[in-house]
Order: sequence, then structure tokens, then C-alpha cells
Amino acid sequence: MSDVVGVGVARVGGLDRVTGRQAYVADIPLDDVLHVKLVTLPVARARIGPIDSRAACDVPGVRLVMTSSDLPQPMPRFGPQRRDRPVIATGETKYHGDPVAAVAAETRDAAEEGARLVAVDYEELPALHTLSGALAADAPLVQDPALRAKDPHGSTNVLHEHRHSWGDMNAAARVADVVVEGRYRFPMVTQFAIEPHAFMAAPDGDGIAIWSAIQHPNWLQRVIAELLGLPLAKVRIHAPDPGGAFGGKQHAKYEPLLAFMARATGRPVRLVLSLEETFQAVRRGAAEVHIRAGFARDGRLLFRDLEANYLIGAYADIADRTVAKGSYTSMGPYRCPSARIVARSVLSHTVPSTAFRGFGNPQQIWAVESNMNEAARTLGIDPLELRLRNLAGPGETFIPGDTPADGDWAVTVRRAAELIGWSTPAPAGRGRGIAVGLKSGPTTGLSYATVRLLVDGSVVVYAGTSDMGQGARTIFAQIAADELGAPLDWVTVVSGDTSVVPYDQQTSASRSSVFMGSAVLGACRDIHVRLRSMAARLEGVDESEVMIGGGEVRIADRALSIRDVLARGLGRLGGEIIGVGEMRKDAEPDHPLGGTAAFYEFNCTAVEVDVDRETGDISIPRYVTVSDVGRALNPLQVRGQDEGAAVMGLGHTLMEQYIWDDHGRIRNLGAIDYRIPTSMDLPHSMVSDVVEHADGPGPHGAKGMSEGALLPVAPAVAAAVTDATGAVIRELPLTPERVWRALQR
Amino acid sequence: MTSHIELSVNGRVRAIDIQPHHTLLDVLRDDLGLTGTKECCLVGECGACTVIVDGTSVDSCLVLGVEADGAAVTTVEGLAVGDRLDPLQQAFLDTGAAQCGFCIPGQLLAARALLDDVPHPTRAEIEEGLAGNLCRCAGYEQIMEAVALAADRGRDSDADRRPGTRGQLAIDVASTPDAEVAPQ
Amino acid sequence: MRAFAYERPTRLADALALLAEPDSRPLAGGTDLIIRIRDGSVRPTTVVDLKRIGEFERGIRIEDGWLTIGARTVMTDLLRDDRIRSDYVALAEAAAVVGSVQIRNRATLAGNVCNASPAADTVPALLVYGARVLAVGPGGRRTIPIDDVFVRSGVTTLAPGELVAAVELPLPAGRRGAVHMRRTRRRGHDLASVTLACVIGTDGVTRLSYGSLGPRPLLAVDQTGVLADPRASDAAKAERLAELFAEASPSATSMRASPDYRLAMLRVLGMRAIATAAQRLAP
Repeated sequence: MSDVVGVGVARVGGLDRVTGRQAYVADIPLDDVLHVKLVTLPVARARIGPIDSRAACDVPGVRLVMTSSDLPQPMPRFGPQRRDRPVIATGETKYHGDPVAAVAAETRDAAEEGARLVAVDYEELPALHTLSGALAADAPLVQDPALRAKDPHGSTNVLHEHRHSWGDMNAAARVADVVVEGRYRFPMVTQFAIEPHAFMAAPDGDGIAIWSAIQHPNWLQRVIAELLGLPLAKVRIHAPDPGGAFGGKQHAKYEPLLAFMARATGRPVRLVLSLEETFQAVRRGAAEVHIRAGFARDGRLLFRDLEANYLIGAYADIADRTVAKGSYTSMGPYRCPSARIVARSVLSHTVPSTAFRGFGNPQQIWAVESNMNEAARTLGIDPLELRLRNLAGPGETFIPGDTPADGDWAVTVRRAAELIGWSTPAPAGRGRGIAVGLKSGPTTGLSYATVRLLVDGSVVVYAGTSDMGQGARTIFAQIAADELGAPLDWVTVVSGDTSVVPYDQQTSASRSSVFMGSAVLGACRDIHVRLRSMAARLEGVDESEVMIGGGEVRIADRALSIRDVLARGLGRLGGEIIGVGEMRKDAEPDHPLGGTAAFYEFNCTAVEVDVDRETGDISIPRYVTVSDVGRALNPLQVRGQDEGAAVMGLGHTLMEQYIWDDHGRIRNLGAIDYRIPTSMDLPHSMVSDVVEHADGPGPHGAKGMSEGALLPVAPAVAAAVTDATGAVIRELPLTPERVWRALQR
Repeated sequence: MTSHIELSVNGRVRAIDIQPHHTLLDVLRDDLGLTGTKECCLVGECGACTVIVDGTSVDSCLVLGVEADGAAVTTVEGLAVGDRLDPLQQAFLDTGAAQCGFCIPGQLLAARALLDDVPHPTRAEIEEGLAGNLCRCAGYEQIMEAVALAADRGRDSDADRRPGTRGQLAIDVASTPDAEVAPQ
Repeated sequence: MRAFAYERPTRLADALALLAEPDSRPLAGGTDLIIRIRDGSVRPTTVVDLKRIGEFERGIRIEDGWLTIGARTVMTDLLRDDRIRSDYVALAEAAAVVGSVQIRNRATLAGNVCNASPAADTVPALLVYGARVLAVGPGGRRTIPIDDVFVRSGVTTLAPGELVAAVELPLPAGRRGAVHMRRTRRRGHDLASVTLACVIGTDGVTRLSYGSLGPRPLLAVDQTGVLADPRASDAAKAERLAELFAEASPSATSMRASPDYRLAMLRVLGMRAIATAAQRLAP
């Protein structure tokens, strides 16, 4: 392709990351900054009584104790889907960790001491932290029905119900030879980025500056502008690279509170959450999914009837969108002639669930792919074969009205099967499992990029994507270097500052290589146009005779370097060529998701497990993950993303879950009792591979990737456990105790 | 009430007054401005705050600053010598081990302590040596590959070892000519 | 973290005087204390650092037929000691799973004893080896058999202001096979839901100790020889183990594992441990 695209070049920002120079929000010094500590209650739901902050204010160095009464009334609210989240709890706390006050002080110590001394009078109220509790007829309502006046579900805890159907379910049910039914549970888990969320705000002239490790700086800019009544141009969002985000840093959390505190004090304020507080700020929605699936004896899928209840938190955040997207594609990459899908977002007195790698899909894929594996056993058909018989072929429409299959997915499935050695029997005692995952990419999007080609041929790219570890800046640098004939280390990528970088809708849904990548490519092509006219003028030829490719200017059989053309064309005054690029995918109002999929992420995972039948311990001697990425623009980074997604998937598959007490408090708050995989918890052998058919919509045929390899982990591992032991487990995580218990039956 | 301590950080002697309840992590980040060392779990589980004190790796969130009085501390900022990266840093770049990068300083210090101890570790020894350092991007495979790569490269140039971080006992502050007092 | 005063005495007498004050706390490795100060469960006015007290050694030496492990000796030191590795295998294996490398570089064996956590990994090993604790305090020095140290979680028989100066292990009288085993929620470092040590001597006596199954680790000794007998059936061994484990009473409220799983795993690990120990004993 080229010597820079499709190559595992070293990460842009890598040097800063290995030398400790990479500045995350908490590393950025601000003169005269006040430190903020949140005040929370030791219960989930409570009626907030009088708050006495006198003792806190007496602590030397405390400058402000902010409570709801210090904020404009009615309380300003915000949220990406519904404006339901107050800047700070008002009237009632809704979940364990919902802050009732915030203390700003000259030192961290003083802020902590002040926070301890804020005396809150409160009355504990019954709290809901289970689906059955939240859906009970007499359940207390999480959200005030007055806020949901016109909502048909307003008098229940169902925030939204999504229904999709096609085909003729009843007819299909009559002719099905085999119906396989099950109920599957997916626990609450948390993003656990190693960088705890950190926020700063400071008065900035007649506006405000915010620092946040945010995935969507421009979205945050709108939220702050609206809450403070400022024009966008007076809200400057600094978005340094997040130290891991995984969806948990998409939307505003405490930035609005900090903005009001900066205004109240006239000083910069800084809030760095503890890890415990991040558990109380972001999580994935739990889900319970019931499926009935009908098959013909030859394995043809005839229908699926699926009902999913997601336990979301006390505020909507982006949770209902995860339910919408997760349920819309819940039939998977298969031909499913008849389908009925009902999915509900159910409010509870728990941490507001939000985006988390996979965005609502892992919950349903756990259920649907497990059901597929159970069907294979019932039908006596190899689970690989069952999938191949039902996979949509390239170009085939598999969800009515949506983007047809954009890859030859059977190739991916066969590759995974081949790499695990599916056709040969597993070693004695071991079991194998296979599963696939499909996720709809972005349904809308808008990214702008500006590229400046400087007089010496070096390049500055302005791209508003947040580089949270996926390596977006590296990809943009590769694209620009390739298009403009610059060495990679002559390209600088600027991001993370809304006052400097043009608008980008968001960094989510594995979109950035496709969306911002295309915008960067477009900006480079815009520069090509100007270069061509410059070269034509210099060489006295018609523009139509000038071609640009491979980083060179070509006129007939002559090749000129871009740098030479620039030097001559720009002349003594110097200057530069500025290119602008845009990638836009508009909303389609009639589509259930507001737009068709820009691409699909598709992955097949195959595993071999050993189960200790006496203890329930699962070990994974061999693990294979294969993703259809269209084109791996940087194979080193693709590998990192796929393997990372796989290990994250192993976390919720094997060990991760929130544990609640009767008061709706998180018992395993913090790193000691919320377990995530370590370097000792990996498969003994991990193979990650990609399928590259250059059939994606991004530069060089790339598709988005980064989430796919997480999607099918749990059903693949659970199927292997069943294969090894006969035990069928329909609830995650597959802790040793849960596996052991299943083996006792 | 403050305590006066003198310690060597990355070969430079620092004499400072600190709060006794502040951890070495606090001292490095807040008093000395060395923000390469990261704060995450504060219970010794994640390893993001790993530094090397007198030759052994520790979680700096569980060490009081006052306990480091007289000690020699190596942080991520001290791994490279001028522009010359530690072989581990170069290997981390080469294998794509750093993704978001937040855990990387801790991983590097844990790996440095491991290689100083066991120059050519087995895969199991690397897994064990890095188990105290969580990576949520979960680039563990690429991180462990980097450690093995650095060890392999070290095999060719063991004579060329950079000044070690091990085996230094408490330094004699008074005899260090360039001792200086850091700002508070 | 709340503020406190810090003292770093170099003489034991000074340390004892400082610790006689209410709300002062001794600091050794700090891997437990600092966490508890930060979470507010311990609120000392003074923290007394024991690491520069001359009488408290960092090291392992033989004295009067005992292997003496000084108060400042950390887990990593145990792992590097040839005598521990060859003669006290269960202790070496237990020390190897205490936290991560970084934790083991700080956590002391004496601290692991003083914390009196029911899940402390090194304690079952100390119990099966018949260790004793050398305590020093305002009332002078005394030795306490390790089995007499623990009362319940966080509570020992050490008097207020009394410190552990050393943990002592009897020198091996003959060959023995030993092992430490545990159950955790993941392979990487974790708190044990069952932690168990076993030693079998050439005399046919099997000593088993287990933690995380009640308020304190317990010792059970099989004098019958059944557990060490290669000809005894698994059923007979299982029956004997069940008798020996009768006092196990795991917490019903723990979030780490349910009582029935812990009890079942105690039996599984018990069988595995006696098999491994016997195998290691075999010439």
C-alpha cells in the first residue's frame, strides 16, 4: 500500500508515554488552584435534610462548600439523552456516591478535612438495585414523574422500551423443528480506567476553561455553554489524552459542578476522583435477556423472540442509547427471517450506567451466542457449522432497512476455527468454544480536520479525536504522511483543545479511523488540489496533466517532490497550504436508530479451556480472536486493541461484578475486591489475527475496530466450559464458585 | 508540623520539608513535581505508583514520604540517561506496549526491578513480576513481549548496563556535592 | 489521609514509650496500616516507625535451635533465603503469594502476624511449623507459641504496647514434606478465600492449618497416621480430614466466597495438600 500506512509504526505520543512526560489532567499544574473533594452519604437513596457546613468552613484553607442551595434554582440539569442529572444532588440522593456537597480548599488535605466535617442531615429511603425490585408494581419511582409528564412509562421505572420486529413470528414458530429457550444474566461492571476521572475548571477572561479527560470535547463544550449561558466561543475545553476511557469518559460528569465552583470562587478548581469514586461515577448496564429461538432440523434459524431488561442507573446518561443499539442488532450477523425484540431501560438507585466498550451489545451477544451454542447441541450440529449455515453473506441484508453485510464474515469465522484447530479434537479433558460478535458502528457522525502543509514540507494535522490509547493520532499522522510525502516524524497532530482544533462530534463507536481518518484524508486531498494548480503554474502545464500520488507530484513521466513544488511555489514569502476535510453521515429520521450503520465490527473468538472440576477454576490454554477490520492501518495498534478488548472481555467473563448490600451500597468499592485481570490471568497462548478485504468505508478500506474482540468472549468461554464439563451456565461472571456450583448439579 | 527529609531522586539529592502523613507518591508528585508516577487505587493493588526505592520496587502510595528519608528513589523520569532511553523504554515503543500510557511508568519501574534482579526472566517470571501492575488497555502481551525483548537485547550488551537502580544503600547526603534544597 | 505525627525511634525503649501513648500505632511495612489510615478505620495521632530500631533485625539467623526471623524481615527476604526455601517450603510458598512483588518488598512477616487477618497467608505455615513469637513490651520479653497469638480478626493476645521482635521457627528435626495452597478469585494476587498449609513428617504425623474459614487460622494435627499413609484410601483420608476440619466456620457474609464453597474447597485443598506433601516427603 505504502511505506507508512498499513505498517506498525511507533505510536505518536509513545515517547512521552514511556518517559513519564505525557501530561494527563491530574498532572497539569494550575497556579492558584483550589482542590475539590466531594461529600457523599453512606447510603444509596436518602432525603437530604439541612446541611451544616460551618465546621467545614472553619477548616483553615477551605474556601467554599457548595450545596444545591448555592446553585441556580431550579437546579440546572444536563445529560446526553435527557436533561435529568442535577449539577449536584438536590432533595434526594439517587445512588451510593451521589454527591450532596463539594468542598474547595487551598490544599487536598484541607478539602478532605472539610468534606469530612460537612454535616448532612438525611433520612435513608428504600433503594432499588435489582431488576425485579425496580420492575415491581409497588416500586418507588427513581425519577420524579413530574419530569416525565408526557412519557407513557412515566409512572414506572421503565425509562424507555424499544421494540423491533420483522417477519411472521407465529408462522415461524409453527414450523420450527426445535425451539431453544433460555434466560441469561450479565452483571454490572465498571470501566476501571487506570486514570481516575479528573476535572479542572478556571475562569478564562469573560468565559471559562475546562480540563477534562473527555472523549467528546465538543459535546462537553455545548453542555457547559448551555448551563452557564455562554456562547460556545467562550467555553474552552482542554481535553488531554485520557488515561483509558472505554466509554466511561464520553459524557459530562462533574465538569458542570466544577464550572460553577470556579465561577463562585473566581479561581481554578481541580477535582481528581479516587478510584472508588470512579466506580460510583461510571459503569456498564446489567442485563437479563430471555430468548426463544426456533430452528429447522437442518440448522436454519427461523425466528428469535428476545426480551431484554437492562438495569441502568438513576440518571439516563447515554444508557438508553446503549440499549437501543444493543437490541437493534441483537439478532447478530445471521439471516433471521422472523424476529421480535423488546428491550427496556430500567431505572434504579444505582450508579448511572453509561457507554462501555461494546455499547449495550455484549449483554445481548452473551445471551444470543450462548443460545446459539445450546441450539447446536440440541440440533446435533457443530456450532461452527451452525453459524456458517446462518451467517449473512457479503452484501446481504440481514436487518431489514439497515446496511447490508459489509464483509465476508465466514472468512473470519473459518480463520478463527482454523487457528484454534477446530477440525481436530481438543486434548483430553479440555473443551472448546466459539462465538461471534457483531456491532453496528456509528449511525451518524461529523468530523472536521484541518491540515497545514508547511513550507518545508512538514505537516500539522488538527483533529479533535481524543487519543485515549487507541492511537488515533498515529493513524492520522500515517494518513497525512502518506498523502503529503512527509516523513512520519515530520507530522504533528494537534488535538484536545476546542479553541484550536475544529469540531469533531465524538470519539466513540470505533469511529475515528473512519470518520476523522476520512476528514484528514479529505484535508490532504484538498491540499492536493492546491498543489496541482501550483505545480501546473510552475511547470506551465494544464492542471489536468498534474497527478499527485505516492507523496509525489507527477507530470507525465516526471516526478517532483512535494517539498520542491512547495518551496518553489510559495517563494520568498513562505507560507503554507491549508486543507480542510469533512466526513459527515447525516441522520435518517425514519430509521429506528436514527441512521444506518456506517460499518459493522465483526469478530470471531475461539477458545480452549481446562476446567478444574473440583474447584471450578477455568484456565485458558489457547485463545484465538479474529476481527474483520477492512484494513489494519497500523497492525501494532490493531493488535493492541484486539488483545486488550479480549482481556477486558475475560474480565467480565471470569471475575468482574459489582456486589451490593441491602442498602444499595457497593460492597466491593475499590481495587481490593473488584477484581480485573492481571498479567497472571491471561490465556496461556493468545493469537490475534485480522481479515483485511479493504471493504470498509474508511481510508484505504479500513473499518472501525476496537470493540469487536470484546463482544463474543463470554459466550465462547462459556461454551468451552460446557464442552469440557457438560455444565451450562447462563450467568456471568464464571467465577470458580459459580462453575463449581454448576458442576454440583 | 512538617518533617525534614533528604533523599536522592533519580540521582539528584533533594532536601525538603514534608507533611508526615503524605506518601512518597504525594511527595514525588506534589512536592517535587515529578508527575510521571501515577495515582490510581491507593491500596497497593494497581501498581501505577510503582517506583524503585534503594533497589526494590514499591507502591509509593503505601510508603510515607518520611520513610524515604535517606533513600535513593528512581522514578520513570530517571530511567533515561539524557536522550538515551532505557532499553525497556525502547522495547515498550517497539512492541506497541504503551496504549493509553497511564500504567506505563509503573510497568516500566516494575520491569526495571525485575530485570535488575533476573536479567533473563522466563515468561512465568515476567507474568509474576508484573502482576502488581494493572493495565486496563490490557496490553499485557505486548508489555511482556517488551520486557522479554529488552532482556534479549541486554543479553547482547550486558557489559553496557546503565547505572543500576539496585544495591544502593542510604546515600550520604552531606557528601553529595550538588545537594540542593527543593522549593516547597 | 488524616494528619498524624511521625516518630522514628532508634531504640526499642523509646519505641515502647511512644507506643504507650493512646492512639499511637506501630509502622513496619505499612502495606496494611497506610490503607487503613486512609480509609479512616484507623486514626492514629502518632505513627511510630519501627524500621530503624537497632534491636529489630532485618534478617534470618539461627540461634539456640531456632531459625529467627527479625521483625523487619519482608516477604521477599523469605523467598530469597535458602533455608526457608529448602526447609520451610510451605512458608516460602505462602510468602510468595502475599500481594504483588511491590507488596512483598515491604510487607513484613511480623506485620502479617500482628494484623491477625483470618486470611493471612503466612500464618497457617507458621502454625504447621510450630513457630513462636518473640514479643517485647513494657513488661519485658516473652515468647508466645504462635497458636496462642490469635484471638479473632485483628485481635491478638499481645498486650497493649507489646511488639513482635522476631518470629522463630524450630529447626527441622528430620525430613518432611510440606506445601501451601490457597483459593482466590483470580490467579494474580488476591485475598484468599481458603489458605492452607500442610506438613507431613517421617513420623507419620500430619499438621494442617487453614485460614479464612473463621475468625482466626486454626491448626489441626493428625496423629493417627492416616493422612500420611500411602496405603490408606482416599475415603479414609477424606473422613479424617472432615474430622480435623470440624471447627471451620466461614463467615456467612463475606463477599469473596460463600461458606459452602469455602468448606468444600477446604476439603479439596486438604486432599491435594496431603498428596503433595506426601509426594515431597517421598525419598
